[in-house]
Amino acid sequence: MIKKDLSVDFLGVHFENPFLLSSSPVGNCYEMCAKAFDEGWAGVAFKTIGPKHFKVDEVSPRFDELTKEGTPFVGFKNMEQIAEHSLEDNLHDLKKLKENYPTKIIIASIMGTNEQDWEELAQLVTEAKADMIEMNLSCPQMTSHEMGSDVGTNPELVKKYCAAVRRGTDLPILAKMTPNITDMVPAAKASLDGGADGIATINTVKSIANLDIDRKTALPTVDGKGSISGFSGKAVKPIALRFIQQLREAAGMEQLPISGIGGIETWQDAAEFLLLGATTLQVTTSVMQYGYRIVEDMKNGLMHYMEEQGVDHLSDIIGVANKSIVPVESLNRDYKVYPKIDWDKCIGCGRCYISCFDGAHQAIQWNEEARRPTVDTDKCVGCHLCNLVCPVGAISTGEVVMKPGREGNPEDIKVESPRLTHF
Amino acid sequence: MTKKYETEAPGYTMTTVMEEAARCLLCHDAPCSKACPADTDPARFIRSVRFNNVKGAAETIRENNALGAICARVCPTEKYCELACSRTGIDCPIDIGGIQRYVTDFEQAAKMDILKQGKSNGHHIAIVGSGPAGLQVATTMLTKGYAVDIYEKAEKAGGYLTYGIPEYRLPNDIVEYEIKRIVNLGANIHYNTTVGKDIMMDELKANNDAVVIAVGASESKVLPMFADNENVETAVGFLARVKEAKGNITDLPENAVVVGGGDVAMDVATTLRRLNVKNVTDMAYEEFDEFKASKKELKGTREAGVTIVDGYVPTAVNGNEVTFKHRHIDSEMTIKSDKIILAVGQRVNAANLGITIDKNEEVPYAGYGTADPKVFVTGDIAQGDKTVVWAVRKGKEVAEQMDKMIMGSAKEADLVGGNE
Repeated sequence: MIKKDLSVDFLGVHFENPFLLSSSPVGNCYEMCAKAFDEGWAGVAFKTIGPKHFKVDEVSPRFDELTKEGTPFVGFKNMEQIAEHSLEDNLHDLKKLKENYPTKIIIASIMGTNEQDWEELAQLVTEAKADMIEMNLSCPQMTSHEMGSDVGTNPELVKKYCAAVRRGTDLPILAKMTPNITDMVPAAKASLDGGADGIATINTVKSIANLDIDRKTALPTVDGKGSISGFSGKAVKPIALRFIQQLREAAGMEQLPISGIGGIETWQDAAEFLLLGATTLQVTTSVMQYGYRIVEDMKNGLMHYMEEQGVDHLSDIIGVANKSIVPVESLNRDYKVYPKIDWDKCIGCGRCYISCFDGAHQAIQWNEEARRPTVDTDKCVGCHLCNLVCPVGAISTGEVVMKPGREGNPEDIKVESPRLTHF
Repeated sequence: MTKKYETEAPGYTMTTVMEEAARCLLCHDAPCSKACPADTDPARFIRSVRFNNVKGAAETIRENNALGAICARVCPTEKYCELACSRTGIDCPIDIGGIQRYVTDFEQAAKMDILKQGKSNGHHIAIVGSGPAGLQVATTMLTKGYAVDIYEKAEKAGGYLTYGIPEYRLPNDIVEYEIKRIVNLGANIHYNTTVGKDIMMDELKANNDAVVIAVGASESKVLPMFADNENVETAVGFLARVKEAKGNITDLPENAVVVGGGDVAMDVATTLRRLNVKNVTDMAYEEFDEFKASKKELKGTREAGVTIVDGYVPTAVNGNEVTFKHRHIDSEMTIKSDKIILAVGQRVNAANLGITIDKNEEVPYAGYGTADPKVFVTGDIAQGDKTVVWAVRKGKEVAEQMDKMIMGSAKEADLVGGNE
């Protein structure tokens, strides 16, 4: 079995690997976190601890899933709020976890309704020996509008509450941001101004995943009614990656410490978040679907990736993709690349023909007799929709040509590396 | 003309293996992983495939089984992991063998070297026979740091893997690759060397801390009525001849009768059809409800166009005419054919090895020890099933037992030394 050093240092804290449970139902008590640690997770953002005066009262049922064809859990909708256990029990569990698992990292996620709450909670979890604090400024389904994403979209409140937490603790502070905002940068900057040390993102995306079309309301249906609530899982990964990239490209935030969250379930997902600048990675939805055991393949796969890339430390890959992601207007528009069809692989299904005609530029010609496609290079714009719909990976990137009148050598163009899923 | 014989069925692609892995229910306490005689953990490696970690899947398979790519192809999974599969409660089991084949092919394509030779412990062992059990013993002992010599009477290693199982089921390239891994780990194979003739057991015992006999049942049995009949060939002889020539043999009959109902009989009958022998009839002692060959093999044989007649025993032979009688009903048939191939079981040749083999073609006791504490048995001659997956299991078990014995006596020797 391959062995590589997966450890990372984040906000002055050493993590044995970057994989953490995110603040959610998967890290809701001592026994859950202990089992997760035993199975290889480096730490937990314990389910958010609220002030004593806020009473959690949940609905039943409280989850829904988005499917596509036969695939379950493409996305996951959740209505649960913060920890339902008593403040005393939660603090007791934090303390016991740190005592029994001294090398694992305990992040206390907290949420208040006012400055006093935030400061007090920060003091309490610091006394309970947490290693780090994560401020939940982003839960989209709180029953109080003084809590959660309604706060996180307001930079002034964010700054004020971060300052309150800073007064209550010496621990590193992560501000957990909501994606239910057009631009995350002002809220992130406000949190840093207030005293936060890094950003955790994304929290869930406000959503209606499906309707109960007989009862005519959103799922899950609670006594005939539904609500908008947070969406997570693989479907939100693109949104998470986008926000992380935008944070890291903002002036002065090029080295922003980030704990990445959003649809991570494989080592490739993990590698993508790391390449965009996340140092630690938080996971919930895939744990809810498959269990803590998924960390085994994320860790092992990441080690094999490091081996392939010739790196000995994850810090060597963190953020290296940021600089090659540029505004759309900066992309090279001087060439196009034609699709190349591998006749030995083609099984004659005609999906490329349909998609090219109905969704692109009518550039694939279909030989009805032979049931084989050919590319009309006069019409082809090189969009590669055909490549994506081919079920057997028979279509790949082929000849590169410069557009008429444009300068450049086609051989210097760096085309896409082969999509691994297509073999 | 040998393409049908040489060509293995296509395996999964990265897309299709994911579709199959996505059917896996990722069970808690997975039943498949408790059903493998060789302790393979399919639940673990399928989960790795499911989460795009094919290299991790390869580690899971290879660290447990020196012959992972071979078992993927020849294991009767329907009796073990796939029989246990929970997916059966919905439709049909996961194609565990097929997924294992994808993973081990990937391992080969990516040139992964998963097993590492252990740090030398100064001890030596000798293995008699390089069939699946011998190869597994070698691998386990090499990873533990032993020096390993294998004595093989044939020109090539692998035993029945190399000389028996047909190319379309187990390509020779795969067998050679698996053996190369073991040689790279440090196994020293002495070819064309028959223990008991070219080198004696006493010499092996003198030069090694332990000797393990893994000769297998390498010779076909011949029913007395077929002795000295020029129309008769043994299954073992025929399969070896075809495999060595990669199917290019010239003396093919127009039609043939195969006697036997096990996997070997199915291999012979299917091979004949794949070499374009027009009429092939297999006469089996067992009836279909008690058939010995695996379902996969039986299905393949039928698809190849072999006529299989169950429940018949040969009662008389006259040149190329054989008369069969049904075991239970009053029925008799006589078949005239150009060739009669016997696949009625195999025999152990353990001449001059100092062990007793009983009429079941195995040692007359359970376990791997012998009267001589330095000599062990494993593979088909040890009691238990006679499949490749069982050979792997027996190879691992005897290796552990030998290691314990050698390390135990080494410790004892140390203690004695310490007291002096």
